[in-house]
Amino acid sequence: MATPAARLPASATLGRQRTAVGLAQWLGRDYRLGLLFVAPIIALVLALVAYPFCYAIYLSMTRKYVGVPPVWVGFDNYVKLTWDGFFRRAVYNSFVFTFGSVAVKVVLGMAMALVLMTHVRFRSFWTGVLLIPWVAPTVVSALNFLWIYDYSLGVLNYLLVKVFRILPQGVGWLSEPGTAMASVIAVNVWRGFPFFGISFLAGMKAIPGEAYEAAAVDGAGALQRFRHVTLPGIKNIMIIVVLLSTIWTFNDFTIVYILTKGGPGGATQVLPVLTYEIAFGAQRLGEAIAVALYMLPAMAAVIIVLARYMRRGRAA
Amino acid sequence: MRNRILARAETPLAYAVLLALALVVVFPFYWMFVTSLKSEEQMRSLASMFWPSPVVLDNYRQLLGKTDFAAWYGNSIVVAVSSTFLATAIGTLGAYALARLKFFGRAFMASATLITYLVPPSILFIPLYAQIRNLGLADSLTGLIVAYPSFTVPFVTWLLMGYFESIPLELEESAMIDGATRFGAFRRIILPLAAPGVLAAALFAFTQAWNEFLYALVFITNVKLRTLPVGLSTFITGDVYGWGFLMAGAVLTTLPVIAAYTYLQKYMVEGLTAGSVKG
Repeated sequence: MATPAARLPASATLGRQRTAVGLAQWLGRDYRLGLLFVAPIIALVLALVAYPFCYAIYLSMTRKYVGVPPVWVGFDNYVKLTWDGFFRRAVYNSFVFTFGSVAVKVVLGMAMALVLMTHVRFRSFWTGVLLIPWVAPTVVSALNFLWIYDYSLGVLNYLLVKVFRILPQGVGWLSEPGTAMASVIAVNVWRGFPFFGISFLAGMKAIPGEAYEAAAVDGAGALQRFRHVTLPGIKNIMIIVVLLSTIWTFNDFTIVYILTKGGPGGATQVLPVLTYEIAFGAQRLGEAIAVALYMLPAMAAVIIVLARYMRRGRAA
Repeated sequence: MRNRILARAETPLAYAVLLALALVVVFPFYWMFVTSLKSEEQMRSLASMFWPSPVVLDNYRQLLGKTDFAAWYGNSIVVAVSSTFLATAIGTLGAYALARLKFFGRAFMASATLITYLVPPSILFIPLYAQIRNLGLADSLTGLIVAYPSFTVPFVTWLLMGYFESIPLELEESAMIDGATRFGAFRRIILPLAAPGVLAAALFAFTQAWNEFLYALVFITNVKLRTLPVGLSTFITGDVYGWGFLMAGAVLTTLPVIAAYTYLQKYMVEGLTAGSVKG
């Protein structure tokens, strides 16, 4: 990176001091060290995020096959997708997958946080155990559930049929259209709820004890204290976590790809998996990127709102 | 009165919920481990469902002897360690500058970093693959080492910016009054104080790189160059090997992150809560 600092030694020795002061006025007190330290990030973001992102927008407006130069088609890909049944189903599925997962994660995360706020023993041990799904490799977790859900040898059917005798016979959890989506959501919830729990917990710990005492003095019961003290106290954290998780879940590729590849018959097809399949199965890159970018305006809105909340959370 | 009853009911209820959650969380890992030690015959007969009898190591022996699993392990270590070093170095310097130094464009770059962290890989993987190929790094571990910082650096930077902001400004100023340069103050005063944060950030970067699936799946075609998550996932379609075999691979893949996590739980939990962070 050619920072202004790099040009300084070349300037005349006489004027050097004055130039430096002048530049510092323009570029800020620490501009040399600052730009030097930030230069790698700028290079990285430009080369690996900004440029690919712009290139993606361009490619989505072309007809592009692997190994052949792109042909400009304008908004054709987007228009075609709008009327494509497979695509519309994937959009619908993506929303069901995302909102279903996030809703259950809020509930379980809240349960986890509330339980860890009580006077149970070995709290840090329990916290550690409950966070394991969040650090374990997603592929491993997805494979574990693929095995647990297995129709003939899987342990879930074994438990439900042979041990607890709840069902007369096993269920093809991932192969039947009626259960596939719920089964996939369950895995995403399993992996993601600890993050909700630990974040809510951090928020609850930051609420001053006096707030609860004052509410108790006013005669508020446990439920009222939860509604009027706890919930308002963690509101910002809840918004951040829900928005973050919405973005991550909407773009989750691994769990669906490993468990169902979008099947059976498209019942769990979501946008990231559809993108991958059109790109590397059908080799139609332009169309694939249009699938990935179709929801970009909505996603960008969420990202901007979220970024604002995260910065404000930091400043406070 | 009502409150006292609730308070008394609270603890047993809390334990019940805690146990239920812990059971749901731990069982898949227990099941993975048990399966990896079962013989093919035991699995097919559904006998002694929850305990391997006899305990056999065949799955592990086959995995390490007959497949490229060991090579994949090496690949994952090389990729995760190198990209973590790269991301932590770049992110630490950048976070310090964005949190502490005054220069033109700082606020814009801080926002840009945060937004980059939020851009999901699923919309970037195709053009990023094209970019990696342009750089001549397709189908190589170097390609992954270069690509992974695209998501680990923004994250490390965002995490550490918060950390640096929490260190009192006076410490740095008094060092500079004593004659240290700003860089000297950063190196000798701020960096040691921020060490726990840097460690937490590095751990998360390592975990993310170790667990990454989509880029590794797309960028690598050579079987020998696969990383563990991609390698493992190809066992499903193989159908040649049983579940015991697959679970043995899953156990060995999980081991490093769980070990690191167990030893350094304090730092990781701290890092997680330091600013709503991805793991």
